[in-house]
Amino acid sequence: MSEEKTTHFGYKTVATEQKQAMVADVFHSVAAKYDLMNDLMSFGVHRLWKRITIDMSGVRPGDQVLDLAGGTGDLTKKFARIVGPQGKVVLADINSSMLNVGRDRLTDQGYVGNIEYVQANAECLPFEDNSFDVITIAFGLRNVTDKDAALRSMTRVLKPGGRLLVLEFSKPTNPLMSKAYDLYSFTALPFMGKLVTNDSESYKYLAESIRMHPDQETLKSMMENAGLVRCSFHNMTSGVVALHRGIKP
Amino acid sequence: MDKQLLSMLVCPLCKGKLKYEKDAQELLCTFDGLAFPLRDGVPVMLEGEARRMSEEEKLEKAQKAAKEQAE
Repeated sequence: MSEEKTTHFGYKTVATEQKQAMVADVFHSVAAKYDLMNDLMSFGVHRLWKRITIDMSGVRPGDQVLDLAGGTGDLTKKFARIVGPQGKVVLADINSSMLNVGRDRLTDQGYVGNIEYVQANAECLPFEDNSFDVITIAFGLRNVTDKDAALRSMTRVLKPGGRLLVLEFSKPTNPLMSKAYDLYSFTALPFMGKLVTNDSESYKYLAESIRMHPDQETLKSMMENAGLVRCSFHNMTSGVVALHRGIKP
Repeated sequence: MDKQLLSMLVCPLCKGKLKYEKDAQELLCTFDGLAFPLRDGVPVMLEGEARRMSEEEKLEKAQKAAKEQAE
């Protein structure tokens, strides 16, 4: 009998082919309250992290942008305003519930015309080579089973000179912050999750998956291995979150 | 379906061009024999959600595409 390939789902070890379905269940469960939970959990600071991501992307009018794992559309909305009628933003997510919440919300707010929606897997993106000026993946890479494959796929669909921005939880740089953060995320987060979405397991997964995610330097070298150059990262909120950027040569 | 988006989309497996079937609301990859559905106008580009075409359908669609290209 051949050994079954395994990966991590939070702290649990699961068969590689199971992870995608387990992550899907988490996001089907939390989609409706996702935005509210983000505001509560981060005290609203996620808005600032996202604004910095937009600023660092160097996006310009007329650009083609891929907002990957874009979920409920926070970044897409801001990008759509900047790229204007000549540009395009593709909001892609593997999860149909998240994509539906995003589409309904953006359409209700009048964002139509330069936004398209695609259900896709980051590991094998369904786009032509050299399609995008900017790709962002905000709080999404952590949930992807094969991160190296996803980074290679993103590099493939970027235009030469195009930028990839990865916004993701990372490793706190200061020990005191690290302690407080551990206490907060393993006790307060599942509790809030239970109150708001009646689903503490999904928020336990969130806390665990953050700890299992590659740290700043590791992710930077993964991006270099995928073929990106001038890779760098910026810690935000003492490294609770890091913004990585790489350029396709 | 948006023309510009259609021109950007390829099969996630072989990265080949797709054929848009308006009536069936599907995007076909005759090479892999997969029909990716459009749900509420959103292309679902996941192998696991795609319909597998029969050998006959694959052949028929490939011939049709070749003929269209020749014309």
